[in-house]
Amino acid sequence: MEGEKAVVALLLQALVTGLLMGGVYAAYSSGFSLIFGVMNIVNIFHGELIMIGAFTTYWLFTLYHVDPFLTLPVSILSASLLGYVIQRFLINRVVEAPPMMSYLCTFGIHLILANLALLAWSADFRTVTTSYSGEGFSVGPITVPLARLATFGIAIVTTFAIYWFLEKNRHGKAIRAASQDKEMARLVGIDIRKVYALTFALGAGITGMAGGLISTYFVIYPQMGLPYTITAFCVVVLGGMGYIPGALVGGLLLGIIQSLTATYLTSGLSVAITFILLFIILILKPQGIMGRGAVE
Amino acid sequence: MLLLLFPLLKPQGYYFRMFSMMFLWMGLSSAWNITSGFAGYIDFGAVAYFGIGNYATALLMTKAGLPFTSSVLISGILSSFIAMFIGRYTMRLRGAYFGIATLAFAEAVKQIVFEFDRTFKVTLFEGSHGITLPIVHDDRFFYYIFLGILFFIVLTAFLIDRNKFGYALKAIKEAEGSAELAGVNTRRYKVASYALSASLIGILGGVNAYWLTYISPLDVFSVIHTIHMIVMALFGGIGTVFGPVLGACVISLANELIGAKLLYTYLLMLGAILLVVVLFLPRGVIGLISMKRSRR
Repeated sequence: MEGEKAVVALLLQALVTGLLMGGVYAAYSSGFSLIFGVMNIVNIFHGELIMIGAFTTYWLFTLYHVDPFLTLPVSILSASLLGYVIQRFLINRVVEAPPMMSYLCTFGIHLILANLALLAWSADFRTVTTSYSGEGFSVGPITVPLARLATFGIAIVTTFAIYWFLEKNRHGKAIRAASQDKEMARLVGIDIRKVYALTFALGAGITGMAGGLISTYFVIYPQMGLPYTITAFCVVVLGGMGYIPGALVGGLLLGIIQSLTATYLTSGLSVAITFILLFIILILKPQGIMGRGAVE
Repeated sequence: MLLLLFPLLKPQGYYFRMFSMMFLWMGLSSAWNITSGFAGYIDFGAVAYFGIGNYATALLMTKAGLPFTSSVLISGILSSFIAMFIGRYTMRLRGAYFGIATLAFAEAVKQIVFEFDRTFKVTLFEGSHGITLPIVHDDRFFYYIFLGILFFIVLTAFLIDRNKFGYALKAIKEAEGSAELAGVNTRRYKVASYALSASLIGILGGVNAYWLTYISPLDVFSVIHTIHMIVMALFGGIGTVFGPVLGACVISLANELIGAKLLYTYLLMLGAILLVVVLFLPRGVIGLISMKRSRR
């Protein structure tokens, strides 16, 4: 009987951990999905926005001892600002150009940002270790780490907030209009340039916030961006490109699958699993699991 | 028309190695250019085939005892088969998405080769131990081999540029929808070019393994190699026959001179070059030259 209990406990633990991770995936993938949905830009420096958010939190914590959760707004702001500036001066030039140019552009920005960070902060791994890091509570045989639970909560709330913003708020609706039909949106008087700026800033901001959250329980380092970018891409394909609620579903699903892989195989294969999953979806259902994504 | 380099009888070993390296990169970027430049499907995961070629040759030579030439040829064929499979599905995606999907593929292969032995408790890829190949003390041998392969690749690119195959690829790059309507089997041509690029890159990878005599997953599957192919081809002139050759020449020299000492700065420079080319010089140096010529 004991053995069976242990097996179930292990499975449940993997599921819970995966769910919590998935919430964060959803959060930072929403930004990616938003930018693609509206501007048709595949943002390859997406991971760097996470990195910036994470390091903002780290430095504020290390230098000024401010609790990481309290500095989230600053992470949001720093990533948002960076995103806005890059969008205004660089992205805007390629947004109407063939897609090849825009993602080469974002790729170049990725290289620059990642290596600037490397030059500035060295390749050392860093962590944000607070008094409550590692604390958790138990539900039966399952441990729920506090930091991850808080992260999950904030991520879910934010994802819903973004969704609400896009549905109900005037500016949010303008963003959706622009993503559906640029020309028509222009005709009804929507300023596309402002929409682009808002979209990018918003997408970058939520991504930065996710970065700040991640720093509370993962190691961070300047080159951390790329694997996250790949993950975000896979989450968005899973959930449907450009469809925000899909990012939630995709994120949770991917989180659970990765957790199961890490528990029963090895965590080193996480990217491999992500890709295999991506591949399968592309073959079977390119519009994403919920069938609402943009297909090419 | 550019003159081809004739094998000069240089006495010093260092020069042989330097030129070998340059020929390797000129070959790699030209091979990459066949899919990414001619057909317009920018491959962000080309290093996967480079690594596969390295490993296939290394394993065949060390574990199966096959001679060099057959190992390399088998590596090339293996690469093309894998590419045919992967390309069949990933090329359903539009340009930008193809890019990230191939990037994820390359990262996945890297992780798989790295973690395989440890996960499945076998001794096959040797993971982080790396593989050591028999040593050949003949720099001149590799000089001629790399030069020969380079010649073959550039010749192939030249022929493709002039014949029906290249015409189809360029049609795909310019207006894929129209090409399909005109009855061109775009999928077959796309995948064929991808497989061709992969096999050439795989062959170069195989020679590389024998040349370096020691390979490990994190080296030969590193994304930096793809970055180099991209920046070299773009800088010289993507989509042209000699552009990648020129670009590789310049950048591999830059790598040799500053890459070793100031790595992060060098990578930053690559990112900056990428941005400059994308924003201001999309047709690369060759494009610039031909623009100046046509103004006379």
